[in-house]
Amino acid sequence: MPPRRAQDHNYMAVDSDSDDSFIVEDGDGDFGADRTRGAKSKGKGKAVQKGKDKGKGKGKEQPYSWEASYTRSWDAVQEDEGGSLQTAVEDLLARGRRRRLLGPSTAIRRTIIRHLILILDLSASMLDKDMRPSRFDLTLEYARAFITEWFDQNPLGQIGIVGMRAGLGERVCDMSGNPQDVLKHISDRVKLEPNGEPSLQNAIEMARGSMSHLPSHSSREVLVIFGSLTSCDPGNIHDTLDACVKDRIRVSFVSLAAEMKICRDFCVKTGGTFGVALNEGHFKDLLFEGIPPPVQTGAAATAKTGPGNPAADLMQMGFPTRLPDTAPPALCVCHSELKTEGFLCPRCGAKLCDVPTDCDICGLMIVSSSHLARSYHHLFPVKPYEVLMDKSSLTITSPSVCHACALPFRESQQSKTPATAPAEGLSPLGRYRCPDCGNDFCADCDVFVHEVMHVCPSCHDPKPIPQPS
Amino acid sequence: MSHLSLLLDLQPAAWHDPTQSLQFSTFLAHILVFLNAHLAQKHENSLAIFGAFPGKSIMLYSSIDQTKPADRRVQPDPNWYQPFKTLDAALTERIREEMPQPSTSSEAEELPVALVGALAKALCCKIIQATKVEAPSDTPVVMPESRILIVSVSPDAAASYIPLMNSIFSAQKLKVVIDVCKIYGPDTTFLQQAAYLTGGSYIRVEKHESLLQYLMMCFLQPPSVRSLLAVPTTDRVDFRAACFCHKDIIDAGYVCSVCLSSGSDCF
Ligand SMILES: [Zn+2]
Ligand SMILES: [Zn+2]
Ligand SMILES: [Zn+2]
Ligand SMILES: [Zn+2]
Repeated sequence: MPPRRAQDHNYMAVDSDSDDSFIVEDGDGDFGADRTRGAKSKGKGKAVQKGKDKGKGKGKEQPYSWEASYTRSWDAVQEDEGGSLQTAVEDLLARGRRRRLLGPSTAIRRTIIRHLILILDLSASMLDKDMRPSRFDLTLEYARAFITEWFDQNPLGQIGIVGMRAGLGERVCDMSGNPQDVLKHISDRVKLEPNGEPSLQNAIEMARGSMSHLPSHSSREVLVIFGSLTSCDPGNIHDTLDACVKDRIRVSFVSLAAEMKICRDFCVKTGGTFGVALNEGHFKDLLFEGIPPPVQTGAAATAKTGPGNPAADLMQMGFPTRLPDTAPPALCVCHSELKTEGFLCPRCGAKLCDVPTDCDICGLMIVSSSHLARSYHHLFPVKPYEVLMDKSSLTITSPSVCHACALPFRESQQSKTPATAPAEGLSPLGRYRCPDCGNDFCADCDVFVHEVMHVCPSCHDPKPIPQPS
Repeated sequence: MSHLSLLLDLQPAAWHDPTQSLQFSTFLAHILVFLNAHLAQKHENSLAIFGAFPGKSIMLYSSIDQTKPADRRVQPDPNWYQPFKTLDAALTERIREEMPQPSTSSEAEELPVALVGALAKALCCKIIQATKVEAPSDTPVVMPESRILIVSVSPDAAASYIPLMNSIFSAQKLKVVIDVCKIYGPDTTFLQQAAYLTGGSYIRVEKHESLLQYLMMCFLQPPSVRSLLAVPTTDRVDFRAACFCHKDIIDAGYVCSVCLSSGSDCF
């Protein structure tokens, strides 16, 4: 017990760090405050070290969930002196803006055709309740959200699901490009009831097997949600790791328990990402990091060019004809149901219920042009808008209203303290200027343009073509 | 309560053509009757009108923002419902100000209209309006039903394909229905897809003199009511892609795995 007690003491110190910050700020330097300050610095040092050990980039450290007091999400939002939530909201906006600025602003190369196997840990350790309501329920909930969002951003991708239960890899859902199909398979939690030991090797071998036939231009990815600290394998898992490297399968892990050497090795050697979830929100963040199509790095692109395999190749695709509701009914090839509406394969004329899909008869990949268009915003992102800091960048002719929504700009009241504003990336004038078309937009429109619409409202206005001179 | 954004395609070349059966003044009169009918349906109904001119897009009228100086010039008339009068006066005045004369602007007339800009602005306004509605959150918030009606007279502009599709997808995410009323010119595949993807109607006006009837029968009802009515829907949609090299429409072809450009055998 003595070592455990010592650790407890450390965690207490970490805990007191967050609680005492108020006292330190409010106190007038009395004895109590001095004492807690000492404890605070000690706790900080420990916390930093712990963060380094686990390789997490999160600034705020937390003790284990069972040691923390019950967290109230409404406490996280701080009111300012006036009792208004304005500053808290602005802080959130600024955070999103900073994250966007880190992203690339020019056309970049991404893997658009993705194939992902999601491996779910269904072992007994998933019944732990350190994440509420339980690791298992939370995983299912987030997996559903993940799949919906993933298909929204990767309309040409396919997802399959493999479960790890009772020492076996279990195929939960075959590779499919239809989100409804995939969601149906994980909608029933009774069928997936956790049980027994997990086997990483079996599950990854199964995932590898189901991706072996894929063409070279598509990505092969495996994402493991792993809640255990053990793996019960029939053979040497390092052979599996070598095979994954050879097949260029990218393995990523989201661990719910702690870091394991073999998990990290998988991620490092195959180019995936590794993360340990600190709490429920962090778990979701880690999982959703895998949604945007991965950037094809120079190294990966040249590696592919190796054995007579160009990094860019042409995929044969068919663009279907949509049958109207008034067409004569016919049997579809996918469900053998009598239907009037549907799509016709341009090569063999088979009737399909939904696109995108592979034609069941001739194997042609059937997409509509709008599915291709849905991926374009990853390839051609909108440039981040410049934050206007002072009035010097304005001229007399600058309009006083947002170019998009025609509402007047809201100048913030604390413009007299400009020292705080630049760090947050918020404009005191409420103006954000597009570097290409030079128009000013308000904060709301800026967020909407970059996060939802991916179109600058005035960059695409047709311009007279300059005469070559 | 429902919100209507009207996008008017004001291509001077199409509207000043004397051989067309529908004159611009008649067209404007029909549109105004339709808009008045929308305002008369419910007191809370809101309206925003955008004009797509060659090379620029302008917000012509918004019932949300009442601070426009144009409102002050309207004299109250006891024999006229005030919102109608405000709208009619403001819209006609703004169009007169902004509409370029075909004779004076010879090279600007060649430009395609800025439909993407107008659509993007309409969607931005929808977002601002949504955040405003949510602000007093004592009562259960009823989000206004939103739809966009595009009155189109010009053909597709190939250069605007990607931004237009991006706007359509964001409309789809925001559950904004896009209706298209095509008056002149060839059918536009892009707008057909917009109507199909957002669950709206694409209707081609065959008899120009009865434009008002088309507008009242097909586009006046908010989307939630339409399931009870037999409103024409989009039937034929061309989902084929255009070959990037010759702009031919192709059935099956090759797509580049990096940039997703599609091509035929000539690749
Ligand atoms: Zn076929
Ligand atoms: Zn704005
Ligand atoms: Zn711009
Ligand atoms: Zn060609």
